[in-house]
Amino acid sequence: MTDDIIPIFIEGETIDFVPLNIENIKLYAKWENNPKVRIYARNILPRTVEEMKKYLEPSDKRPKNEVSFEIWHKKDKKTIGFGELSDINWYNQQAYLGLLIGEPDYWGQKIGEEATRLLVEYAFNELNIFKLKASILVVNKGSWRCAEKNGFTREATLKKDMYVNGEYLDNYVYSLLKEDWLKLKK
Amino acid sequence: MTEEKKDKEDKKEEDDVFPFIEGETIDLVAGSSKWANLICKWMNNPKVRHYSRNMWPLTLEEVKKFFEPLPDRQMREFIVFTIYHKQSKRPIGSVGFNHINWVSRNANIFATIGEPEYWGRGIVVEASKLIINYGFTELNLHKIFAGVFTPNTRSLRAAEKLGFEKEGVLKEEMYVDGQYHDIHKFALFKRDWLKSNE
Repeated sequence: MTDDIIPIFIEGETIDFVPLNIENIKLYAKWENNPKVRIYARNILPRTVEEMKKYLEPSDKRPKNEVSFEIWHKKDKKTIGFGELSDINWYNQQAYLGLLIGEPDYWGQKIGEEATRLLVEYAFNELNIFKLKASILVVNKGSWRCAEKNGFTREATLKKDMYVNGEYLDNYVYSLLKEDWLKLKK
Repeated sequence: MTEEKKDKEDKKEEDDVFPFIEGETIDLVAGSSKWANLICKWMNNPKVRHYSRNMWPLTLEEVKKFFEPLPDRQMREFIVFTIYHKQSKRPIGSVGFNHINWVSRNANIFATIGEPEYWGRGIVVEASKLIINYGFTELNLHKIFAGVFTPNTRSLRAAEKLGFEKEGVLKEEMYVDGQYHDIHKFALFKRDWLKSNE
């Protein structure tokens, strides 16, 4: 992909958010199947390229109940993961925020923190979301730190909620209300 | 249809009317394709369609299509209820929202009484109150808007009675019966509605 055809949707500092691209489907499949990545994304079943393609088929659902982006690393000119709002509930004005950095080389560089900030802004300022939630596995310290850095608080601990690598693990539900986020920004 | 048979039909119909919102003289009930013939009659009736501004003939097949379910999890941009007259036990019109914008939280309200004998009894106001309350307290809308064209004095009065405020006039926006008419745009905000209904 060359620079001039990157359809930037949200501009950040280190990263941008761009629409998903069918040409990158193999990359997506690589991430989703990677043992290091999928443990946090909780993919228990193998993902085929065909299944991933289906996910990219245009939907005429309006408004959408999920929105996904590619995370584009500006300096390295590389697609490194996904950011998404899923399970959008338009009655309660809620959504789940989710991130996946598919390239472990980019872990620990605060990219998740920036991606979270951009997604939060988009959800509250453009989609008029009232409350954001994130479901984060207890062992996924990187993710709960980046949620906390963005003002999320731990609202619930779901005991032994997920069966991961032979044991039941707790799952945290983090949340952020728009009104609290606005106060933090002041 | 013989009288007896008709009574039986009426009885049967009564059994599967499902009120969703209860009012005093009317209930708002889930629409049903069994009323497609009736709705088709209303929408084609010259007296009725003059006000609901329907200038095309509507076939029964087209009306039936309204009742086809949406694909899974699709958000509706259109929600309609049948207005069911409690005492006479019959459907007499429709009320609902269209052009629902779920991000900006607004929608257009519409109401039609398809049986002209029920006009002038305050039914539109009652049905509108019920659905406005539903829009604000259940759908979490921020703003409800309405468009009324000048000769429709009854709806103009209803809009004012319901607390709508005029936002503007679209000049010669609508061609009806050989003439261009202005459309009055009305709006009602959730905060004002809740305050006046405390």
